[in-house]
Amino acid sequence: MKTNTEADVRTDTGIKIMALFFVAIIFLAVTTDPIKTGTKEGDRAPPLEGLAFNGSSWYAFDMDDYLTVNWTAGDVEGQWLLVEFMDTDCPFCVRSAGEMGQDADYFMKRVGDWQGPVVNFIASATELDIPGHDSSQDEIEAFRNKNGEEVCAGSSCASRDGESHHFVYIDDLDQDNMKEWKVPGTPAYFLIQPDGIVAWSSTENTDEKVREAIFRLTLNNEEA
Amino acid sequence: MVDQNLLLIAYILPIAFGLVLMTKAGDGLGASLSGRNPLLKHARRRHMLGMNLVVFAGFAVSVHTLWISNKISEGGNVCSSATVFSCDDVLGNAQYNTDPVFNIPWGMIGIFAFCGLMFITNCVSKEPDALWAENYLKYGKYMTALGLPIIALLISYEVAMEKICQFCTMAHIANVVCLFGFWRAGKMHEEGLWNDEEPVEAEAEKEEGKKFW
Repeated sequence: MKTNTEADVRTDTGIKIMALFFVAIIFLAVTTDPIKTGTKEGDRAPPLEGLAFNGSSWYAFDMDDYLTVNWTAGDVEGQWLLVEFMDTDCPFCVRSAGEMGQDADYFMKRVGDWQGPVVNFIASATELDIPGHDSSQDEIEAFRNKNGEEVCAGSSCASRDGESHHFVYIDDLDQDNMKEWKVPGTPAYFLIQPDGIVAWSSTENTDEKVREAIFRLTLNNEEA
Repeated sequence: MVDQNLLLIAYILPIAFGLVLMTKAGDGLGASLSGRNPLLKHARRRHMLGMNLVVFAGFAVSVHTLWISNKISEGGNVCSSATVFSCDDVLGNAQYNTDPVFNIPWGMIGIFAFCGLMFITNCVSKEPDALWAENYLKYGKYMTALGLPIIALLISYEVAMEKICQFCTMAHIANVVCLFGFWRAGKMHEEGLWNDEEPVEAEAEKEEGKKFW
């Protein structure tokens, strides 16, 4: 019988290496349960960083500072996040500013008697690549505080709908966060669980408002 | 949980021992170890044993790196630290922890790469005089050389983050040591040090034969 020992060595070794590879994969599959990073519901939210304006000054913001890594569903101590991607020159964002301010005050427990967990609102202000959209940190400040001489979507920022906001605005004029979160347009909203998992996104739930989503998800989790 | 930095020793030792076996320093070591294992008397066998050790350590550390990545994605802390050595910060950074083309975790790429290298070193160890062996060593050299720009890219990420991932660094070192190993194997071919003209087993048999007669 003819035998080719050289081929034997390579086949034999190839089988052994493949076996080792699959042992490693099985080990990883059994001992870990990785969660994809992304912005679909169930994904781990990507990082959200940048300079943020809190109403009086700009400071380095990192979303991780808000997260509770070991949070479990039903734990009311954990604080949720509502991230809004907006552009101060986007007419839809300007029109929804009033409603956003009311929701933020209510769910951040500034006003009203919200019984659920605190939902911290965060706005990431970008500058879309559309003619007429020309934003700046001054404009972000004016939009948030509803004051100043800046122009938002064709009219004075000071005359936008609603009251001045009480949540932080991140400078995302370079669109870094927006690209990382793969935001198709503004405004876009993401509700983030205290452990950093995306619980809801407006792009996947076009018929549901932010307020409805918070009621549905945070109170359900509390009951659980 | 075991201190992850302690586990690093499990990777440093085989890589360092493998490197010693591949260098001139390994000659003395081989001579002292040949009492236990006569095969280590031969430079080529020592060299290939060293390469196999380094490649296996590289494979194991790549699996460990992917395991850490997965654990971090679950929300766990594996090796986070306030110091510059914090693999959690590096492997947990979604901006940098996958390759920019296919979005595959770097740990998985390491596993593929070291599986390929392990195949080469194992095959060549078993059939060092095969016609394909010298070519395989060249492929190994090209593969590990290709790893250099990738390592440079990953180091640039670490510089940007101002953090160092110890486990990733260990895999990078294993790749560089392998590149040296493949280069030296080529040199051994050129210098005629590759073949075992007097296999140890044959010598031992001769000795046995003399005693018998």
